[in-house]
Amino acid sequence: VLSADTSATSETLHQRVRAFIEASAAGAPAPTAERFDELALEVARFQAAHVPPVARLWQARRVALHRAADVRALPGLPTDVFRLARVAAHAPELDVRVFRTSGTTQGAEARGEHPMRTTRTYEQAALSWGARLLWPDGPPARAIVLAAHPRQAPDSSLSFMLELFVRSWNAPASWHFAPYARVLDARGVAEAAAEARAAGEPVMVLGTSFAFVHLDEATHGLDLRLPPGSSAMQTGGFKGRSREVSHPEMRALIATSFGLDEARVVAEYGMTELSSQLYEGTLAGRGRAGVYLPPPWMRVDAVDPSTLEPLAPGDVGIARIVDLANVDSALVVQTADRVRWVDGGIELLGRQPGAVPRGCSLAIDQVLGRDAEGER
Amino acid sequence: MIDRDESSRRVSRLLGVARRLQDPDDPLGSEARRRLPEVTALSPEGVELALGEHLEVDAPRDEIAALCERAGRSPCCHVVVSANVCTAVLRALATALATSPVVRLRPSRRDPVLAQLLVRALEEDAAVERAPRSSTVRRGADSQPPPPMEVTLVEAVAPAAGDELHVYGVDATVQLHREQHPTALLRGHGTGLGVAVVAEGADLDDAAVCAAADVVPFDQRGCLSPRFVLVEGGPDRARAFAEQLHESLRALSAQVPRGRVDERLGAEIARQRSTLEAVGSWLEGPHHAVGLDPDPRALPLPPAARIAHVVPARAQTASQLLERWATWIATVGAAGDGALLETVHALAPRARRAPLGRMQRPPFDGPVDLRQL
Repeated sequence: VLSADTSATSETLHQRVRAFIEASAAGAPAPTAERFDELALEVARFQAAHVPPVARLWQARRVALHRAADVRALPGLPTDVFRLARVAAHAPELDVRVFRTSGTTQGAEARGEHPMRTTRTYEQAALSWGARLLWPDGPPARAIVLAAHPRQAPDSSLSFMLELFVRSWNAPASWHFAPYARVLDARGVAEAAAEARAAGEPVMVLGTSFAFVHLDEATHGLDLRLPPGSSAMQTGGFKGRSREVSHPEMRALIATSFGLDEARVVAEYGMTELSSQLYEGTLAGRGRAGVYLPPPWMRVDAVDPSTLEPLAPGDVGIARIVDLANVDSALVVQTADRVRWVDGGIELLGRQPGAVPRGCSLAIDQVLGRDAEGER
Repeated sequence: MIDRDESSRRVSRLLGVARRLQDPDDPLGSEARRRLPEVTALSPEGVELALGEHLEVDAPRDEIAALCERAGRSPCCHVVVSANVCTAVLRALATALATSPVVRLRPSRRDPVLAQLLVRALEEDAAVERAPRSSTVRRGADSQPPPPMEVTLVEAVAPAAGDELHVYGVDATVQLHREQHPTALLRGHGTGLGVAVVAEGADLDDAAVCAAADVVPFDQRGCLSPRFVLVEGGPDRARAFAEQLHESLRALSAQVPRGRVDERLGAEIARQRSTLEAVGSWLEGPHHAVGLDPDPRALPLPPAARIAHVVPARAQTASQLLERWATWIATVGAAGDGALLETVHALAPRARRAPLGRMQRPPFDGPVDLRQL
């Protein structure tokens, strides 16, 4: 269990991060790089002292935190670690939530875990950036959610976030996905759309990629058109739960299904291991489709997959993400997602491919259900 | 019985001509050594180890007999070798010749070298047999003419109904051939991995030397290569073993360096390094690494690049750790025996079993991988 001092330090850091988020959301002058680094390095020092996996990694890399001035010098904790060890500054007794990865591609026993001592900072981060990029003109009047409700999926960070959104909007919301039965209630979606049309109230549809695909396959003859001003947010991969659809196709599919302009469809990039999210900026008139904008309290670097050193802007590398809101876990997270900085945001280019198999040994791509580039 | 004898003679003839590839002074052996480092990405020393120690030309007669006993019978046997270590084509071809005197072999496009050289060796051998013999060079009175056999390299296999089709490749490749050739009798061998078990009573130094000898050949790219090492006992014993293995791999790699590490493999290694540095410890040499997770929740698959993942384990915890990997376990190597080993064997009942240090040398009694898809 955290000592009183440690707990107080954690709480102070959470407050400072929330203040940082609030300042940037309120349209205050953009926080300077120094302020970001200053706060990030304080969080880093806290984690080096209290989060064992982070401490071990930085110790192994001989990171001199007392001398560090730039958060870019800190190695990222690979997302794999979240399924191999507890990544938290606090003891399990203090968890108020444990978000878990879906486990569909890795196997149920290997689900990553992100324990939370408090969700306040997560909530503020999600709502602040959502308000800027998802509902820049004010909260939608209604919501249709194609994801499991938190009651059905209490360890899903996505369900938690979506429920947070619709609660903050104080809007009628309907949920249309039963995770255990893996059933999407297409008729219910059509009824919700009809109600919105009758009321003339704009709707935001929030859902996972595979749920939108299932909906597309299940709605022949159903009218899903939404009133003007409606929009949609789509997130996540397919994880073998539906046919795979490219991102532009997905945007077109959603737009066609709901009668929306494609610019009213945005994608989110988030993960269980993070507390903040990135969105395409098209709803807010910022940037183009396919470019994901991080919030001011997050930094994304493309790093060389072999050396893990930051690359020049425009070069393709794997994403290393500094998320100030990850106060009690890992400030710097190393993903295996290939990205490129472009037009003030990042393009997502798929997962870093595994090594080309040169024998009959099992390759990681096979385990993850991806093509292992074996010969045919 | 005559049929089996014929099969054995075909296999023996194949192994006989394959000796030429083992011999660095033979033109075929020389060509193999020249071409293989490029296509396999093994170091020249790694190629020499593969050809010198792991080309199975000296299989005992009883093992050949067992191979023929296990094999099916078919008018023609078609073989697809798309993912395998370089020397494995010899056993694949031997298994096919045990099945049929007529073999159509589609080698790996990436690494066709030994397939091409073996077929050439067979052709040259047949040409010598066909040549007129002088009165002084006659076959001995008790020797028989070579068994009739026909091995042809092909671009694509086209088995007739009832023919056997042996596919060595990733699981998706095996499935693809199953769909494309529904009337053939398909024997599929997918990818796999090896698991090493260091039992409670085993000497750690000896076990580490043996495990290193299993990791180094083919740079761990075969399905018999150990990727995970389960050390029976607590974290201290696992750490002691990991340190010993690190030293053994360092010593062995000084003689046989690892081959080329390309960008993607380098990226996998970098990720595993960071992961293990965070979870436990990472002992790395210029040509190998040993990761240690002292308190494992799950087993992350290390890249196939002479990288061993060591964990402490007990019989009670091994099932949870290995369950996810069980279907892929092609061989279990063991130092000592006991409850942990029994648990691992129960999880992978079709895996080959070998003493540690012999994982890469299974008896020549069938395919190296006895799991069949």
